[in-house]
Amino acid sequence: MSKLTATRRLSPQELDAFGAELDALRARTMAQVGKVDADYIRKVVRWMRFIGFGGRALLMVGAIGGAFVPWLLWPACILGALMLGLAKILENMEVGHNVIHGQYDFMADPQFNSHTYEWDIVATSDNWRHSHNFRHHTYTNVRGMDDDIGYGLLRIFPEQRWRPFYLLQPFIAVVFALYFQWGVAIQELKLGRWVARKMPKGKMRRDFAPVGRKMGRQLLKDYVLFPALAGPFFLPVLLGNLAANGIRNVWTYVVIFCGHFTADAETFPKESIRNESRGHWYMRQLRGSSNIGGGRLMNLLTGNLSHQIEHHFYPDVPAHRYGALSVEVREICARYGQPYNTGSLPRQFGEVAWRILRHAFPSRPRRSTTSRKLQTA
Amino acid sequence: MYICIHGCADGCTVVPMSTVQPKKPARRSPLRRLATPFVAPPVFDFWAQRLHPTWSWDRALARVVALAPAASNAVTLTLKPNRHWAGALPGQHVNLTAEIDGVRITRSYSLDAPVAADGRVTVTVKGVDGGRMSGHLLAAARRGDVLDIGPAFGDLVLPAKPEGAWLFLAAGSGVTPLMALVRQLAGQDMPVPVTLVYWARTRAELCFVQELRALAARHPGFNVRFVLTRETAGADDEAAGRIDAALLDALVPDLAARQVYACGPGGFVATATTLLEGRVPLLRSEAFTPPPMPATDDSGTVEVRLARSGRALQLPRGVALLQALEAEGLKPKSGCRMGICNTCACGKAVGATRDLRTGTPHTEATAALKLCVSSAVSDLVLDL
Repeated sequence: MSKLTATRRLSPQELDAFGAELDALRARTMAQVGKVDADYIRKVVRWMRFIGFGGRALLMVGAIGGAFVPWLLWPACILGALMLGLAKILENMEVGHNVIHGQYDFMADPQFNSHTYEWDIVATSDNWRHSHNFRHHTYTNVRGMDDDIGYGLLRIFPEQRWRPFYLLQPFIAVVFALYFQWGVAIQELKLGRWVARKMPKGKMRRDFAPVGRKMGRQLLKDYVLFPALAGPFFLPVLLGNLAANGIRNVWTYVVIFCGHFTADAETFPKESIRNESRGHWYMRQLRGSSNIGGGRLMNLLTGNLSHQIEHHFYPDVPAHRYGALSVEVREICARYGQPYNTGSLPRQFGEVAWRILRHAFPSRPRRSTTSRKLQTA
Repeated sequence: MYICIHGCADGCTVVPMSTVQPKKPARRSPLRRLATPFVAPPVFDFWAQRLHPTWSWDRALARVVALAPAASNAVTLTLKPNRHWAGALPGQHVNLTAEIDGVRITRSYSLDAPVAADGRVTVTVKGVDGGRMSGHLLAAARRGDVLDIGPAFGDLVLPAKPEGAWLFLAAGSGVTPLMALVRQLAGQDMPVPVTLVYWARTRAELCFVQELRALAARHPGFNVRFVLTRETAGADDEAAGRIDAALLDALVPDLAARQVYACGPGGFVATATTLLEGRVPLLRSEAFTPPPMPATDDSGTVEVRLARSGRALQLPRGVALLQALEAEGLKPKSGCRMGICNTCACGKAVGATRDLRTGTPHTEATAALKLCVSSAVSDLVLDL
């Protein structure tokens, strides 16, 4: 039950032309990057800091004030947790993720430097640069190379081998969503390999050291220092911070899963990327990614990952431009008979949820999917 | 000869060459040391700058407190640095960074006066054709703007107790560090005889004229001569013509006894060095290096210095730097090799590169040059 129209097979020449048009669009866009983009990211940072400050202040008001004026406790704490969660979402998605991609390196501002920016999440920016910027973005949805396929925990595609363990995945997926930041933090450590003793001695200790430090820092900040500011009334602050982190976890999980695991998203075998042309790389990004419709607020709250396709085409173009770029991207894709996967958030996430449920049980690739499989140019 | 970077001239290279440091940064208070592990500097700066534009946890920032025209195409900026800036000696220069169209641009400028008692400093910036920074400072900078100010460097400084007779040779904006020395000596009531010979194309381009004439009138040991290359001499203290042996001998009869500092464009300083080397007891100079010229063809090689490993390599133009470095046996960090993952991005302190995807040249220093999709255009200094 695909919502996409049939895909036209492209000859190698057509693939090259497809890639050249998308490259030209990137070059035209990069030539305009400048003050608008610098102003935009500073504006987002400004809002993020004010909202975050407001959230933390409200938690304090709720915790301390609530001890004396009981009706204050719940409204202030709920609003505070929501605002803090929102600030963390903005920081992680629109600022952190995009800055670490190098979208704002053109500014030469040390505060927006892709190699030194450290984001407000337990995962280290360094591990993210490798697992996300390199592995995930270069080998998007290539089995065995993109570790984001099910995060080594879930079976999302029928091409992944089924094991009885996956029967638990509807439950595991929920827990994973609630603690998503921890999953991302340990993704690069390859715990599975360590448990199976397939790792050189001492490697785990070395790899864990920076991750452990970052985890400690984050825990100290959200669960010791800020609660301690409320003195004996620390508990509501601590729980509010827990809720804010939880809100951020679930939201990032939803957005990221909608980006690559909708019904029509495809995975690819390793062979498909041998001597891959630029055009083929674009086509693979297109087929492995899906957008979320919903306008400007959705764009902001997802750090513009609502335009996952444009993001995968142009990971280093300032993300707030994706919306404008998408008009031309859609037109190019339509001209080459390539599907452009987009839908509302409920629809896209519904498809993800169905995949998680369906592939918990044994399944085989559908023939229609295989027929649309990318041919290697 | 010291390559100066200095300057007034836009587009010149920014390399700290000097070992002379004015003074150590202020000692950190114990309270501050205690707080450091808990402070995220960008967050601190964000909130501190709601209160005051130059408050910062660790960045040296300076606010523009006054702007005044200095000549037909020059402006004097008065800056008030915050306490993270460690100061400078007269004759030294600093890197100033401004954000222009969303991009931070850094250029080096000499202070044109000793640091004032209240910490204020002044720089005089001359407009350069097509210069982004000088264009910005002349046309767009306003009172209240905030610039990053780097540590001072440069060896064109006077000994603690100057002795003997001195000669300062300045051309164009090369006058600024020498002006700082003149003002320093004037503040000490001119303890030694000094002559300043100052070249410019036209009278309208001369800076500090009234002040220099007033100083010459007040201090018998101080002489100033303005030399014009595109106009004829008028006043008594004016002359005309480019620098040569006859002109120098005419302007400075006791040339052989003078200790000489020279500052100006590369050609001027090279000529001065040829004329004076061995003939005077001391010769020290600074020259502006011209901006890297984007080459039109991709043939030949360039010298690439790797700042962290201290190596220097000859690498071909027109080839991705990553590939060229690997061909030399180096293994810089890399990933996608197609310009998307940012793994190979490294700092570029000096030089021009070209983005192989778009053909766009990049001449500014950057913290993130993608080696896999950039080729060398001029000599480079990379942070590898």
